Amino acid sequence: MLELQHVRKAFGDVQVLRDISLSVNRGDVVTLLGASGSGKTTLLRCAGFLNRADAGTVVLDGESYDLQSASRNDVLRYRRQIGFVFQNFNLFGNKTALQNVTAGLIIPRKMDRSQAEKIGLQALEKVGMLDRKDYYPSKLSGGQQQRVAIARAIALNPKVIFFDEPTSALDPQLTGEVLNVMKQLADEGTTMIVVTHEMAFARQVATKVVLMQDGVVIEESDPKTFFENPADPRTAAFIRHAQWSAEEESQEARI
Amino acid sequence: MDERIVAELIDAFPKLIRPAFMMTIPLTALSFSIGLILALITALVQIAKIPVLRQLARFYIWIIRCTPMIVQLFVVYFGLPNVGIRLSSFPSAVLVFSVSVGAYCSETIRAAIESVPAGQLDAAYCTGFTFPQAMFRIIIPQACSMAFPPLSNSLIGLVKDTSLAYSVALVEVLATAQRIAARTYDYFWLYLEAAFVYLIICSVLTIIQRRAEKFLERRR
Repeated sequence: MLELQHVRKAFGDVQVLRDISLSVNRGDVVTLLGASGSGKTTLLRCAGFLNRADAGTVVLDGESYDLQSASRNDVLRYRRQIGFVFQNFNLFGNKTALQNVTAGLIIPRKMDRSQAEKIGLQALEKVGMLDRKDYYPSKLSGGQQQRVAIARAIALNPKVIFFDEPTSALDPQLTGEVLNVMKQLADEGTTMIVVTHEMAFARQVATKVVLMQDGVVIEESDPKTFFENPADPRTAAFIRHAQWSAEEESQEARI
Repeated sequence: MDERIVAELIDAFPKLIRPAFMMTIPLTALSFSIGLILALITALVQIAKIPVLRQLARFYIWIIRCTPMIVQLFVVYFGLPNVGIRLSSFPSAVLVFSVSVGAYCSETIRAAIESVPAGQLDAAYCTGFTFPQAMFRIIIPQACSMAFPPLSNSLIGLVKDTSLAYSVALVEVLATAQRIAARTYDYFWLYLEAAFVYLIICSVLTIIQRRAEKFLERRR
């Protein structure tokens, strides 16, 4: 349903993405793993046209868009079919939780307010934020803001939602509430691409796990194979390292 | 201060209030409105990085901010007739004041827009907004509450700067005080009274600013 083909991107002399291809089927939950600087966030931002790639194509439902040179109108049409959830939530500071969710329906899509609010309230209910619908973002915790941001994305009924490290800016106590909402969306068959460091989420929720290193995909498989029987020795090393730092973290938490 | 002066000041007060309402306030309101539009345009041109226009905006801001306003008034009112452009006092003053407000407030507005986290623009794009929709519905409303205190500063500054128009033969508060004093020789008292009129206008603006800030605060 969504396919990224031969994506390349350099920042100055640094080649961040070297010919990356990735295909996503309807209902897939693809987790993109990799060390910092491996290019996973850049790939996601290029796929949302937030950064222009140097080369590459994205195909959404059979329609292809050039990641480097798509026209403004094509980009707009493409973006109106996707959702994006950011590391820093990026809620609109001048709007309440409900207004954040309905803005995308009312302003670009010209839906009338009452219908938009009905959809918005449903979306907020789904992420458990109905009781905070009239709060401004500055009055919400990080986890609550992120759940509103997820509601904002799902209210638009996108074909696929990109998650860019959705829990990385949260305190450990708050990541759970966000991951639960994402798991629920996955169970309902939402197509998602998730850049994350949450290995447990990748193992339990993903249908496909992709490991990136230095701008290339080094492993792409189902979670069972990925975690138990990886093809590339670097994958095994990555998993060991991740487990080791997770243990370290939980030890620190105990102290 | 003898009785004669008290009587004179009481007599002069309505004569000073009149130009305040007939000249100072309309001149300020008109110049500030035009100036804000200029400021918004030049700020957006720079933020959207539109070539040529952006350089022109920088050039305009540079010239206006780095030359004294009274010199600009002289150039427009006394200088332009030499090249065949004749503007009377009021249009000259409006021209100079609005162009000046435009240059100073442009920087205020640009800084305020840039202070809104850039991620919100990304989020707006990914929610299907176009650039103008994102700017006018999401970014600028937030920039406004950020820019409000410095813009109020500029407005209050402009009220007082309108007294410079005295030098291009505009009959406003200061010029009126000058005319009355020229007859009675009570310069000290009449100039103090003129200052008092500016003080009243600016105090009212200060109170309005404080109220408005509280209102904006509540909406966040």
